[in-house]
Amino acid sequence: MLKYLSVGLVAQLLVNGILFGTMYGTAAIGLSLIFGTMRIIFLAQGTIIIFFAYICYWLFTLFGIDPYLSLVFVVPMSLLLGMGIYQALFKEAAALEDKNISLLIAIGLMFLVENLMTVVWTGNPRSITTGYTSLVFRPIGIDLTFTRLVALLMAILSTAGVVLFLKKTLIGMAVRAASEDMVSAALVGIGSHRVNAVAFAIGIGLAGIAGVSLATIYPFDPFYGFIFVLKALISLALGGIGNVFGALLGGIILGLLESLASFFLSGGWSDAISYAVFLLVLMFKPEGLFVRSIQKA
Amino acid sequence: MKDKRAIILTVLVTIAFAIVPFFLDVSTSYFGYFLFLSFCYTIIAQGWNLVAGYTGLISMGQHAFFGLGAYTTGIIWLRNITKTGYYFDPVTMILSGLVPVILAIIIGVPLLSRLRGDYFALGTLGVGEIIKVVFVKGGAFTGASDGLHLPSTVFESMRPYYWTGLFLAIFATAGVYFLTRSRVGLALRAIREDETSAASHGIHLLKYKIFAFAAGAFLAGLCGSLYGIYLFHINPDSVLKLDWTLYPILMCVIGGNGTIIGPVIGAFFMNALFVVTDIYLVQLHPIVAGLLIIIVMKFMPRGLIGLIDTIKSRGL
Amino acid sequence: MENHLLEVKGLDVLYGDVQAVWDLSIYVDRGAIVALVGANGAGKTTLLKTISGIIHARRGEVFFSGRSLAKLRPQEVVNIGVSHVPEGRRLFSKLTVLENLKLGAYPPRARPLFAKSLERAYGLFPVLKERKKQTAGSLSGGEQQMLAIARALMAQPDLLMLDEPSLGLSPILVRTMFELICTLNNQKVTILLVEQNIHQALKIAHQAYVLKTGKIAMSGRGNELLSDPEIQKAYIGERWSKPR
Repeated sequence: MLKYLSVGLVAQLLVNGILFGTMYGTAAIGLSLIFGTMRIIFLAQGTIIIFFAYICYWLFTLFGIDPYLSLVFVVPMSLLLGMGIYQALFKEAAALEDKNISLLIAIGLMFLVENLMTVVWTGNPRSITTGYTSLVFRPIGIDLTFTRLVALLMAILSTAGVVLFLKKTLIGMAVRAASEDMVSAALVGIGSHRVNAVAFAIGIGLAGIAGVSLATIYPFDPFYGFIFVLKALISLALGGIGNVFGALLGGIILGLLESLASFFLSGGWSDAISYAVFLLVLMFKPEGLFVRSIQKA
Repeated sequence: MKDKRAIILTVLVTIAFAIVPFFLDVSTSYFGYFLFLSFCYTIIAQGWNLVAGYTGLISMGQHAFFGLGAYTTGIIWLRNITKTGYYFDPVTMILSGLVPVILAIIIGVPLLSRLRGDYFALGTLGVGEIIKVVFVKGGAFTGASDGLHLPSTVFESMRPYYWTGLFLAIFATAGVYFLTRSRVGLALRAIREDETSAASHGIHLLKYKIFAFAAGAFLAGLCGSLYGIYLFHINPDSVLKLDWTLYPILMCVIGGNGTIIGPVIGAFFMNALFVVTDIYLVQLHPIVAGLLIIIVMKFMPRGLIGLIDTIKSRGL
Repeated sequence: MENHLLEVKGLDVLYGDVQAVWDLSIYVDRGAIVALVGANGAGKTTLLKTISGIIHARRGEVFFSGRSLAKLRPQEVVNIGVSHVPEGRRLFSKLTVLENLKLGAYPPRARPLFAKSLERAYGLFPVLKERKKQTAGSLSGGEQQMLAIARALMAQPDLLMLDEPSLGLSPILVRTMFELICTLNNQKVTILLVEQNIHQALKIAHQAYVLKTGKIAMSGRGNELLSDPEIQKAYIGERWSKPR
């Protein structure tokens, strides 16, 4: 393998990794918001992303709607769906002391959706082919796939959007406050259900965007969702919970790691390495890699 | 005494189950297969019951132990390691239970000493995935993605499966019963209720958590071994799927987590539900499972036993 | 019939199976400073948490301006006019001073008055205006306490409940704190004060209750209790045995 190594190749691997990793990052931000307010790991996030990838696929295949155009429909739908899922499934469970109940509901949802999709849409991998899906730019000899670049753009824009929301709007501030101290937030008048629902909706909204990105880049099948959420969790662990940019960065790092590992080792082992890194970070640096010293109030 | 009555009832039920093969040809009857599978589910459900119901550790890696048990049996048999020549070999089964225990201790020590709650669940998920990769990549030793094929010519009748299954199910349930009545069980429950308080009472947290985790792994491994011998074809897709973590969770939750017969009720109930959905579509199993877990968690988080308790205490 | 601003009647509060408060009844008159004193674990914090809605009582009633607070959630209680500054301040340490204050005015009734409330807060605590862009976690102990109180004031409360505001403060700051409480009271804020610093608390209180293991051991006017020999012996110690 090493015989074929060249700067160009390494650069290509790095670029691929970064571009793919932004999707993990987008999913991770969603997980971070949901965990911050409700303190549960929403394991169904990956499967929801796949669901939206399917929506994008069917909108294209049945109605000829361009994937990027479909965002106009997908984003509001995902926000509403997020609110709906919260109200129907998690509202009471979030208030309970025992967080395992919410965790199990999330797991149940994942199983339900991924298998429902398998039955209804079959387990065959799907991908979208449009006029531009095979478009590649080649500056300085490195392949830059158009769709991956757009995915990067969407990831950056949605991250920026979330950050602006959290910093500049009152409800965004409320979400940040509630993520830090829910009881204290209630004492100043912030209702937990409101912030939970908002955080959840945004989380699902980000899943919608990630889903559309995925649909244009990579073939997907219903069970990919579980693998995807694991990768998102690894990104989150790397970036540190509560850190929006950190989550994005964590995703990019994971993308890089995977890209390099799958080149030097065969596919399966690169996954194992990702999970091993995950375990190590969980055990030895659970606050994430980017943490500076935090002062306590 | 309520306990005495329960024991007598259990013995009667066991005898009833045990004599079924004399009235029914379990090799061909669907009902026999249903019972056998229910016994299997009971075994692995009790494993989860011990780990999560009594000790409060949400382990999402049970399927790794299950698969490990199955593979151990396959490997031992194919390579004739135990040289006993028996088809249904207790030594093999015990070994298949112990190998997961070893893994449980190896990963349990670092995970349980550092991770709490959600993080621990994630850790076990990660471990499960790593195990899956290891087995797929195991080359000739583990049969790679095709898996191991055991010579099915050895199969004569379902009876030994049935009785072994029944025995193990009783063993698992009795094990949980005696454990929970012992000091160990008290310690486990204390850990589930409030770790800090338990520790301040001198309970060595890590020791007991590892014990529970390993015991759960043992039961999962036993179940895997039995199931592997039954399937004759042990491959990652069938023995390492996440279903084997979800179904035990579901059964305990439906029946009643942290009770003794809850998992048994849950196992039989879930299996019956699967049988019903099989009439329409086999792939419905996991959909039903997912839907059911949502419904149960929302409306009766303490399971059927909890529901019965609530009805009794309200004097209905 | 007496019309108290806050009336607590026959409150029983349990944590699981452990009873923390037994048949507790107190009242707070409009415009007063009422002190709740007693040893740790006597039930003072539990009482405040029950009033503000963080926990619910097993039995008993809480009335604020004649309205029952029984089924309300904390965010609704704030909107009625009761602000609770919890023990240990519990600021949003990762948010700035200004953001903390903005969130203080989150309840619908307080939002239209935000600008005025902010001015008042800066007026009482000029240091907060200086540090408005700093994160709350980077403030000193005294400044954090001030921020916590300022934040609670942003909700325009009729009743301000303070849980151990002097905890962890230096003696000078403690005195400033109590002066501040009097100032607020002069500005028509009714105050329910939980304190371990019994001497200072009784000095400024119009009315006081002494809690012991979840029940009221004594009650009366602040200065009366201050010169009570039992109180002096039990809580205040030899140094203060001479009435001031």
